[in-house]
Formats: sequence, structure tokens, C-alpha cells
Amino acid sequence: MFEIRDIQVSYGSVTALRGVSLEVQRGEIVCLLGANGAGKSTTLRTVSGLLHPLQGEVLLDGRPIHRLSPEAIVKRGISHVPEGRRIFPGLTVRENMVLGTSNRSGVTREDREADMAKIFKIFPDLDRMKRALGWTLSGGQQQMLAIARGLMARPQILLMDEPSLGLAPILVQEVFRVIKEINAAGGTTILLVEQNATMALHVSHRGYVMETGRIVLQGPAKDLLQNPQVRDAYLGGGKGLS
Amino acid sequence: MTESMSMVGQLLFAGLSIGGVYALVALGFVMIFRATNVVNFAQGEFAMLGAYALVALWQGLKLDYFMAILLAMVIMAVVGLLFEVTIYYPLRNRTFLPVIIATIGASIMFQNGALAVFGPSPEKVRPVFGTEGGASGVTLGGVFFDFQYLVILVVTALLVGLQYIFFEYTLLGKKMQATSQDKDMARLLGIPVVFMIALTFIYSSLLGGLSGMLVAPIFFVTHKMGATLGLKAFAATICGGFGDVRGAILGGLALGVIESFGAAYISAVYKDGFSFLVLIVFLLLRPQGIFGEKVAEKA
Amino acid sequence: MTPETSFQAYALRRLKPGHLALVLGAVVVVLLPLLFPSRYAANLLILGASWGIATLGLVIVLGYTGQISLAQAAFYGIGAYAIALGTTMVGLNWWLALVLGLFAATLAGAGLGSTTLKIGGHYLAMVTICFQIIYTLITTNWVAVTGGPDGISNIKRPPFLVPLTSAQRYAWFALGALLLVAGLVWWLRDTALGRAMRAIRENELAAEALGVDTRRVKVTAFTLSAVIGALGGAIYASGYLYISPDSFNFDHAVSFLAMALVGGSASPLGSILGAGLLAYLPEWLRDLKRIYLVIYGCAIILVIVFMPEGLWGYVKLMGRRFARPAAIPPTHRAMQVGSRGTAGEEVLRVENLFKHFGGLKAVDGVDFTIIRGEIHALIGPNGSGKTTCINLLSGLYVPTSGRIHFLGRDIVGLRPSRIACDGMARSFQNLRLFRELTVWENALVGAQRAGGSEAEVEKRAAAALEFVGLRNKAHETCLNLPYGHQKLLELARALAGRPEILLLDEPGAGLNQTEKQELIQLLKRLNEMGLTILIVDHDMSLVSQVAMRATVLNFGKKIAEGTADQVLQHPAVVEAYLGDREVALGV
Repeated sequence: MFEIRDIQVSYGSVTALRGVSLEVQRGEIVCLLGANGAGKSTTLRTVSGLLHPLQGEVLLDGRPIHRLSPEAIVKRGISHVPEGRRIFPGLTVRENMVLGTSNRSGVTREDREADMAKIFKIFPDLDRMKRALGWTLSGGQQQMLAIARGLMARPQILLMDEPSLGLAPILVQEVFRVIKEINAAGGTTILLVEQNATMALHVSHRGYVMETGRIVLQGPAKDLLQNPQVRDAYLGGGKGLS
Repeated sequence: MTESMSMVGQLLFAGLSIGGVYALVALGFVMIFRATNVVNFAQGEFAMLGAYALVALWQGLKLDYFMAILLAMVIMAVVGLLFEVTIYYPLRNRTFLPVIIATIGASIMFQNGALAVFGPSPEKVRPVFGTEGGASGVTLGGVFFDFQYLVILVVTALLVGLQYIFFEYTLLGKKMQATSQDKDMARLLGIPVVFMIALTFIYSSLLGGLSGMLVAPIFFVTHKMGATLGLKAFAATICGGFGDVRGAILGGLALGVIESFGAAYISAVYKDGFSFLVLIVFLLLRPQGIFGEKVAEKA
Repeated sequence: MTPETSFQAYALRRLKPGHLALVLGAVVVVLLPLLFPSRYAANLLILGASWGIATLGLVIVLGYTGQISLAQAAFYGIGAYAIALGTTMVGLNWWLALVLGLFAATLAGAGLGSTTLKIGGHYLAMVTICFQIIYTLITTNWVAVTGGPDGISNIKRPPFLVPLTSAQRYAWFALGALLLVAGLVWWLRDTALGRAMRAIRENELAAEALGVDTRRVKVTAFTLSAVIGALGGAIYASGYLYISPDSFNFDHAVSFLAMALVGGSASPLGSILGAGLLAYLPEWLRDLKRIYLVIYGCAIILVIVFMPEGLWGYVKLMGRRFARPAAIPPTHRAMQVGSRGTAGEEVLRVENLFKHFGGLKAVDGVDFTIIRGEIHALIGPNGSGKTTCINLLSGLYVPTSGRIHFLGRDIVGLRPSRIACDGMARSFQNLRLFRELTVWENALVGAQRAGGSEAEVEKRAAAALEFVGLRNKAHETCLNLPYGHQKLLELARALAGRPEILLLDEPGAGLNQTEKQELIQLLKRLNEMGLTILIVDHDMSLVSQVAMRATVLNFGKKIAEGTADQVLQHPAVVEAYLGDREVALGV
């Protein structure tokens, strides 16, 4: 349903992605792994339209989207939950979530309330805190809010950039539990970028491993979990892989 | 009431009223800054342009007074939009210095444009209630409540209230708030950020223009009137806390009052200097102002 | 360009196009009052010259140092009033009055400059505006001293070699002064101070980390601009023989800024061009007299949007092919690194280091030691506190608590420039080059911090560039370099100052495999020369090939240390990077 073909992306004079290809089928959770600087976030930002590839294509249901603006792409149903949570600090939990519907046209009040009620079932903590201002939330709560807000867009695909970053292990568990649930219960397709390979592979169906702008490994998550080359890609990799 | 108490009351009333004008200009300032991180040195000129628009429509074209005000607001909205397109948009990705300088350039253009079109002699505008000639008002408890000053206070309060309602209770207001808090995230959610920013400039221009129209009957309308007004409004926002809406309003009102009392009790001649003295004190001792937060640069 | 081998050839090449311009300028100065001898024309020349001098002051503070100043008309006024009051009321000798005026301007400029220490950006602009406005208020209202709005008349001309009684003769005097100041401002550009100023404009943080005392330099910039502004005002006062507060108000301050910008704020000639334009625009646009300022305001906007370097920047672009770049001195000796200590001693000792940003514990009780001559790695997953550590070590952040000992001294609380001058050099995760400066100039700024004469500074810079292999690209602007070379330049800049220790923040980021291998070779060579290195990076292969010992951080705490190999096998480290299996199973 969603495919990236051989994209090349640069920041000024730095080539960040040197020919990356991957695909995501409807209903899957696919994870994109790799050490810092491997190009994972760059890949997501290219999908959501913040960056444009010099070469290659990004296709949604066969139609190219890589030249569109971020606003247009989110209207097509690709919702990006970026790195660092980025919730609006001066707005309440409710308001943040309401703004999550900005990509949909003709949304009535009832639609919004219904969606919020559904999502609050997955995030009961947020329901409790719906009138709290964004900046008062803890890191873990902000991450939940960012995901909830992403879901309000009724996305076909949810792009998640390092949701576990900076969170304590207990909260990391929470986040991944939620990821599993929204996929299982709601059927939301997810492309997940993570540094925490073990966690990500445990919840995903398939995975890709990146290194210096290229995909170096791919396969079903179960296989990658056992594969020692994944470990090499993170610690002391590069000697044999590229 | 004793004479000194009524004097204090008079000064307070006048101070709050002029402070209200400063607050309106300052508000327009802060709105632009929050949405775009731009410091608009031409904000005072919006007030000047608004006042001249009123002069041209009411005196020049002899339109009905309230019709003139309405049309002048429309003109100011257009000015705000043009300003955004020609000054902010081409420079939106540059550092702050070029943008400040471009707004200074705009300020020079506006001032001298007004001079070229309207000439150097000051214009008079009639107050909202009353005629061009005298000041009309009521006296209560020894304090003379000039109607125009009252109008200013009422309009300021109304605007602040309306603005609060708009930003707290409407979806559009929330979208605009989101745009000023995190522009890129707003884009990722599908909020039309360019449109929001244009709206912000239009709104700020309207605020500025309106404050010029309000203060026009009290002072003469000249091409220079925006300059001091703008600078004092800027001083107010810094003292109140740069980028904070409450700070802009409180700062504006406070400066108006300080000026009023300072001119009466200390020196009328150095009246304009009080705002700047207060500003210097704040800049040296507490640059983040009353409501502001400390900002540090991340390495 | 072949490497210079002869010192004589090198000396000859020091003659720059600037010298030629000065000679030409002298010719112009002599000619102009001859060509336009009428009183009216001479007065215009005097005005243009005074404005030109004032604008040259802005070149230093805005063009070179990048600080906005909207108070230049106030300093201009200080000089004018010093001459006016001095020669009429007090009856002083003109030159004495000038000295007093310049002294007053020095105090005012230093005062204004010291406000930059606490604030910057638009706050600074505001302070300069305040200063300007308060100045105007005082000169207009303190009638007893300044004569108020009526001003002061019957100002005297300076006693000189020949009596300056005619306007034409005074025009020569004024233009001569302009030429002198222009020459000085032009010369300043390539001195150590001038380079420091320009480094601050490009990237203040990096300048500070490379040993430039940004505080002192910014105050100096303001002071110089104030003194020059006052000189301009003095010339103006004795030219027109009458002054009033109107000529020194906020509008004029804005005009000076506009002149500098339209002409080209970083160039003396450009700003003179801008000043000249504004002085003569009313003449040329006589019919459009009412709107010439509108045009000027419009011009500012157009210039900022399309030609940020002003008209002169445009001219420079055209003339680039005629420019002969400065010569790079021959490298006799190889690059040297700091060698103050003995092998085996502690270079850096970190004790119980904490850094909290509000509730965020970025560094949460870290200890480690670095021995002279080793390459030590500081590793950890994203967000573990590594960059915060480097910022703490180099003085950019102040620790919440803990001690940092560098070469035996506690450096907590010292300015980063101080620490850099003591021998700590660093690179940045996101490159912080002085982008508009050339490769050579970047290296020179790096070399300055170790002191010495200009010749020694140049030799060090040349040696550093040669070491990283960038010598033949010395005259390119950084922007034109490919990314890998930009990283090498940051390295060279750090090395040029004879560092005792080198802190590298992700030196491998963004490099391809070949470039990484070259980097590894460079680091090994540096280590052989005896340089101690602390390297922060994520690339484990880089780290394991280069580092002898490593310290691993996670969530701000140290979780392992030892040799590089030991650390990479350590289960806690594997978990930190890949994720905890137990936790994962609980999902």
C-alpha cells in the first residue's frame, strides 16, 4: 500500500539517504532501525513531505506523493508523530487532540467527540488530564498525547519517530503496548522508527535496518531478533556490512 | 474628594487611557512576534496609517464618521496583508537581523510616504462623541472623564476581551495559537500555516490602525506619530515580558500611568523619556520582563 | 597556485588591492574640492565626509561584529557638541575639545557595549534606541548646557597647517579625515581583533569556544564605533559652524544604519558609497524631493531581500576574478600540539558532575579521568548526556554541581574563551564554521588563541591546514567546500591553537566510509604526536579502531568504563544501545 523506491535525500552538501527502498502493507507494523545518524528520521521526514528526494519516489496506493507539501500529505492520510513529541505546550490535552483533526475537512463537533472518546479508551491517563496544559505533562504523558493526536487524524498510516526516546523503561513498555493495541484493535498501519531495536522488533511484523543512509538488512521481525548482524550494525558494525 | 485625590484620579484615568493605546499597539506587536519571531519595527506606523486613513476618508472624502472608521479598518487589513507578503514572506527563513532592518525600512517608507501625500502640517480629527472643537465629557467626583478617553478604555477592554474569547474558545484561534507555538508541527497536522500567519499580520495591522484612530482626536495626526508610539509600545512589551500577551497589556497600561504621573510630578518636558528609563532599568536588571522566561542558547 | 618558497616573493604579494584603493582615494580627495569649488558644493562634500565617517563607525560594530546599533547619531552628536561647547562656551583649543569629545564617546560607547553582555538580538537594538532617544531628550531640553532647540552657533574651525577659512579648504580637511578613518577601518579588518569581530558575527558561540573573548571584543567594537562616530560629528560641527539637536536624533541614527546597509555594511568603501548616496540623493532627485526618503526606505527593503551585502557586495562579486588573495606563508615546521605536561599525568578529571535543566537530569553524577596521550571515547545512546558533557567541559554550560580539573586547575565557572586559551580545543556536532570567512581566515582565528605575533599566528594556521590537507583550498569560502572538507576545517581550526587536549563531538557524523578512514588516520597521527583526544561518537567501528579507553553513559549516568573492547562487550552497554530483552518481553 505504501512504498519508498530508491530515494536519495541530501541536507545541503550532506547526502543523508543513498538509495533507500522499503514497503509497508496495510495493517502491518514495520520498524526502521539503525544507530543514530543512520538516516531513519530523514526517511520519515521525506515521507511526510518535510523533505523532498533528489531521486526516487514515494508512493501511496501506487500514486506518487513525494512532491507534495506536508499539509497535502497529511490530508491523504499519512500522519507523522515526530521525534521529541512536539505537543503544543500552551494548549490543553483536549485542544491538542482537537487540532489533530486539522487534516480532515467537514468534521463536526460530534465526530470529534466520538473519536476522542474512542481514543481516550486506549489512553485513560489522558482522559483524566484532558484539561491540563501540555507543558505540565510528564515525558511519558506527552508521548501518549502525541500518539493520540496523531490518531485523531484517522490516518491510513501512522509514522512514529523514536517514540521511546528519553523515556524510562516502564514508560517505554507502556508506549509499545499502546502501539501494539492501536494496530491490533484499530488496524492502523504503522511505520516505526526506533533506536531501541529489541522493543521495536518485539511489536513489529517486519523490520529494516539502516546504516549510513542505506538499508543493510531486512526481514520478518522474528528473524531479525535472532540475527547477530543487527547487533553488529549498532555496536562495532560497518566492518563487514557495507 | 480632596483636590489632590481628584488630581490623582485624573492622572490615573488619563494614564490608563493612553496606556490602553500603548497596550493595543503592543498587542499587535506581540501577536506578530509569537507567530513568526519577527520584531516589527513598523508597528507604530500601522497606527499612523490608520489615523491618516481616517483623516483621508472623513475629512478628505467627507464620508460619514463611522463609515470612515469601517473603511479605514478595511484599508488597514489590506496593508497588513501586503506587509506580510512583501516584507515577512521573502525573509521568513533568514536570521532576525535582516528582518528587523527590513521592518525599519518599511517604517521609513511609511513615514515619508505619509509626509509626501499629506504634507507636514498636523491634521485634526473629531472625537467619537462630539465635535472637532472641544473635549466633551462628564465630571465625577472632581475628575473630568473625557469621552474620547473613555472610548479608548472601553474599546481596549472590549478588544482584549474579544481576543481572549477568540483565542480560547474558537477553533481558528486554537490553530493560530498552535502556529505560534510550533509552526512545523502545525504544518504536520495539516494546519494551513501560511494562511494563519497572514491572518496574524492582518490582525496586528488592524490593532495598530485602530489604536491610531482612537488616539487621533487627542493628539494631532502627523507622519511622526507612529514613531514614538511604536517605540513606547515596544518598551511596554519588553517590560511586560517579551512575547507575552498579558505582559503587553500590563506593560502598556503601566507605562501610560507612569508617564502620566511622571509628567505631572517630575517633569513634563522629559515625559517621553520615562518609558525609556523604565525600559533601561528592566533591560539591565530583568531583561525577561515581568511575565517572561529566561532564554538560553543551546550549544 | 604553487607553494611559496621564497620569502621575498611572499612579501611582495602582500600588496593588496586595498593599498591601491587608498592611493586612488587620496587622488579623489585632492580632486573633488578642486572640481566643485563653490561653497554649496563644498558644504555637500563636508556633509558627505562627516556622514561617511559616522557610517564607518557602523562598519565596525555592525559590518564586522554583527551587532545592531541604532545609537550612532547620538555618538555623532557627542562629538559635535564637544566641539561646539568646547570652542564657543569654554574657549578651548579645537583639538583639545576633540580629545575630550572622543573621550566622552569612549565612555558612552563602552557603557553601551557592556549592555551587550547580558542581552543580544532585538533587546540590544532596543537598548541602543533608548540611548539614542534619551540623548536627544537631554540635548533638546537641558537648555542651560546645550542651548536647547536653538542649538549652538559660531563654532570655530580647527587650527591647522593652513587656515581653514574657506569651505573648499575645510572640505579637503574633512575628506582627508574620511580617508584616514577609512584606511584605519580597512586595516582593522585583517588584524587579529578584526578577525575576532568577524568571527563573532558569523558564530559567536564558536568564536567563544575558540578563545575569542567575545565580551571584550563586543565592548571594543561599540567603543570604536562611538569614537569614530564622534569624530564625524566633530568634523560636521566645524564644517557647518552651527548645530542643533535635530541633526542627531533617532531618524539620523536610522539613516546611518540605512547608509551602511545599502552601501554594504561590511566594507568601508561600501558604507562611504551609501553615505554619499544619501547625501546626494536629494540633489539628484530634486524634483522628487518629497519622496526620496520613501525611495530610500524601499531601497533598504530591496537590498535586504535581494542584496544582503549591499551595493558594494554586488561590486565585489563582479570583481572577484581580479582579487589577488593574501599569500599563505611557507610551512617550515610541521604542526605542533601542546606539550606542557608529562606523559601519564591526568589532563582532565571530572568529579561527580551534575547538570540539571529544570527537571531534566542531563548529566547525573559522572566521573571519569583522561590521561595525557590517550584517545578516550565517551559513548552512549541518543540523549545519554554526551554532548552536555562536552559543553560542560568546554565551559559553555555551568555544572549544577561537581568539579572539572583541567591540567590541575578547577575550571568550573571560567569563561569558555579562557578555557580555550588554556589549551582546550573542540569541534561541534553541528558544524559551527565561520561561514562567510575563508578557510584561511577560519584557521587564523583558531590560531590566534595561542598568542604571539601575526607572523607566528599565520605559521600555525598554515601548518594546521597543511596537516589536514586543506592548504591548497585556503582561499575558498567555507560554503563552497564539500561536507567532509568542512569537518576537516573545523578540526584544523581547533588544532591551529596548539591545544593540550582536543574534544571532538561526533567527528564522524555525515562522513562516508572513505572519509571516516581518513579521519581515523588523522586521529592516529595526532595521537602519535602526543595529543590527548576525547571523542564522542555513535559510530562504534570508528570508536573501536581509535579509542584506547571508553566511558559509556546512559540517562546521564556512567554505566561502564574500560578499554574499548571491554566496554563494547559489556552487557549493560549492549542493553543500553539495543534495548532491554526483559523489558521487551513484558510488552
